[in-house]
Amino acid sequence: MFKKILFATSATEASDHAARVAFNMAGTLKAHLNLFHVLGVPTRGFSQVVFDVKTRKEVSVDEEYISWVEDEVKSYYSNQLADAALDCSIKAAVGFPHREILRQAREIEPDLIILGGTTGSDEDSVYKYSTGSTLQRVAKAAPCPILVVNRAAASFWGGLSSIVFGTDFSKAADKAFEFTMKIATALNCELHLFHALDISSIHMGMSMSQDEIEQKIRNAYRMIRFKYVSKMKDRKNYSIDVWEGIPYVEIVKYSREKHADLIVMAHNSRKLDVDGSKIGSNMEQVIMRAGCPVISVNR
Amino acid sequence: MPEGIFCNKKPIETEDALTALLGDTSGSQYYKEMKSLDVDSKLLWTTIQNTCKSRIRTWLEICAHCGMCADSCFLYLVNDRDPEQVPAYKIQSTLGEIIKRKGNVDNKFMHMAMETAWAKCTCCNRCGMYCPHGIDMGIMFGYLRGLLYQQGFVPWELKIGAGMHRVYRAQMDVSEEEFVETFQWMVEEYEEEYPGLAVPVDVENADIMYTVNAREVKHYPEDLAEAAILFHAAGENWTVPSRGWEQTSLAMFAGDWAACKMQVENVYAAMERLKPKRMIGTECGHAHRATVVEGPYWAGRKDGKPPAESIHYIEWLAEALREGKLKIDPEKRIKVPVTLQDSCNYVRNHGLRETGREILSYIVEPGYYREMSPNREHNYCCGGGGGFNGIGLFRPQRNKALITKRDQILATGAKLVIAPCHNCWDAIRDLEEEFEIGIKWSFLKPLVISMLEIPGHMKPEE
Repeated sequence: MFKKILFATSATEASDHAARVAFNMAGTLKAHLNLFHVLGVPTRGFSQVVFDVKTRKEVSVDEEYISWVEDEVKSYYSNQLADAALDCSIKAAVGFPHREILRQAREIEPDLIILGGTTGSDEDSVYKYSTGSTLQRVAKAAPCPILVVNRAAASFWGGLSSIVFGTDFSKAADKAFEFTMKIATALNCELHLFHALDISSIHMGMSMSQDEIEQKIRNAYRMIRFKYVSKMKDRKNYSIDVWEGIPYVEIVKYSREKHADLIVMAHNSRKLDVDGSKIGSNMEQVIMRAGCPVISVNR
Repeated sequence: MPEGIFCNKKPIETEDALTALLGDTSGSQYYKEMKSLDVDSKLLWTTIQNTCKSRIRTWLEICAHCGMCADSCFLYLVNDRDPEQVPAYKIQSTLGEIIKRKGNVDNKFMHMAMETAWAKCTCCNRCGMYCPHGIDMGIMFGYLRGLLYQQGFVPWELKIGAGMHRVYRAQMDVSEEEFVETFQWMVEEYEEEYPGLAVPVDVENADIMYTVNAREVKHYPEDLAEAAILFHAAGENWTVPSRGWEQTSLAMFAGDWAACKMQVENVYAAMERLKPKRMIGTECGHAHRATVVEGPYWAGRKDGKPPAESIHYIEWLAEALREGKLKIDPEKRIKVPVTLQDSCNYVRNHGLRETGREILSYIVEPGYYREMSPNREHNYCCGGGGGFNGIGLFRPQRNKALITKRDQILATGAKLVIAPCHNCWDAIRDLEEEFEIGIKWSFLKPLVISMLEIPGHMKPEE
């Protein structure tokens, strides 16, 4: 199902949770794993000087430096790479992380991008760009789904048996559904189709009556059956649910209840957050809070 | 040792030489070699006799040492009014002295001159406005840089930068193919959002030929997409040349006159080949100076103009907004205190002092715009102009130079600084990194796109 996985890693502890998932997936699915590391960002105006995000020093980067960093990535993951069955390549590059990840994705055309953490914080001034975090920018333009592991608790990928598909019924969600079906079929997992009815933005004096909420819930069930269940043919092991509340909270709660090891959602937001904060869309909130990896599907 | 392996009087002409020089981390060997680099006094004096014309000679002669230029120089102010930072002193003690001594200066002198030319002057030309005789030290420093470059006394990054122009006709190692490929990539990335988006390459007789800064191609290609989106939204008939697309000139910062000429002729050749009605460059200050203001003279053009009418990006943007080609959603206008950084190169030195303000009158909610003080043609340099931003050797001096802009910005209370110039953008980014004053900074393109009323033909299908 996945032939090629691009794992964008800082090759530090910040990426360890994602690394566990990346190596596990590549092994289980017999996919090629490309370890990709953005070692530094351009600095000093027009000059060729690069700020090495790990050593926090300004360096001139040449081929030798890059291969030295690639060796470093290799030794950081030496335990995992010792597995002879693993098909793996390593590449280091220079530039703004989101752009270089997208550039690499364009070159190798992966089926999935796994994003590790950044060396510093995304708020770190060396990454300051204009708007949006690395995650937002990659999610916006990526040609394939993106998998993010934010919490240590979310990093276990011990065989995939239960997937939650969170939908907002958008066009991107249709794509996310197709993708979910592919994984669920390939790995024979349980599938939980879920919609959260957003009642968080209702202002004072404008709250929905319970009848109205329940009507909307019924509509959402119909929608799930119409849009997705109809396409599942003779699949048996699935469930559908609609809960009302704050969408990201409900998705996280629901996933916990279903012992999900993966959440798939569509990333709809085309907007980059001006504050560059990670806290924005539901998808980002789910990533921050979920107890399992989250895959964002864009197109 | 007369000539070093890296530090010598020969310009960089090949990719291999570039790679080798880049391999000398931070120019450590380069600067070591510079310590024993000989000065070719005969060459220096011959060059002066051939190139130092009456304007500069008169300026050096008539300077009354009145000191009126002192307070006009932000580097003088920010360095505790050090007398050695008075513009008149800076130029008299370097160029003036070289001429007085008929080129008989030594290595130590040249080191001092190099530091003065690149770390004590950003060629912002502000002093020239305040001199009662109209003497422009910035122009003279530009000239001095040429003499220093010829003798091999040039900061490492600028030797590389000028070499890039010689090898790639671009300030970075971006080939013609890579430029077109990257532009196409960006269009692909955004075409879903903006249907019909395209990059017309090498179209003859277009209304607009667009030129860029190679850094956009190399590191933040979103800028290319943004330019395409705005031209497309405005319904412009535009094109980019596959050759001659680079508008900037690090050769100008370096004082590499020959490379300046090669670079600008490449752009002019594109204009002559494609015959556009107008050429528009990206949001860059020195690129405009190099290609539109000074370039025609480097290329020996008698009328002092590029082959096609050439305007700055802000002139096009102001026109598109004024004429309603681009429409702003009033709801989305900027509603945070915002200020504008006037770029020396096209405001003070090319008269575009109201253009940026006109644009802001369309995109900023009334009541949120804050002027810097001083402003327009009196504004101070961002602190990183003339190549200062990129020179590692003079980084401490550059960081100190940012203080003027930092304090100007702080005094406005603005939370957003609009900087339609790559150098200013970098300097303001760096000053936030250095001093953390809690500001955001931006070019105009992304801001305008974020508040654009998208025309019907560009709306994505639901």
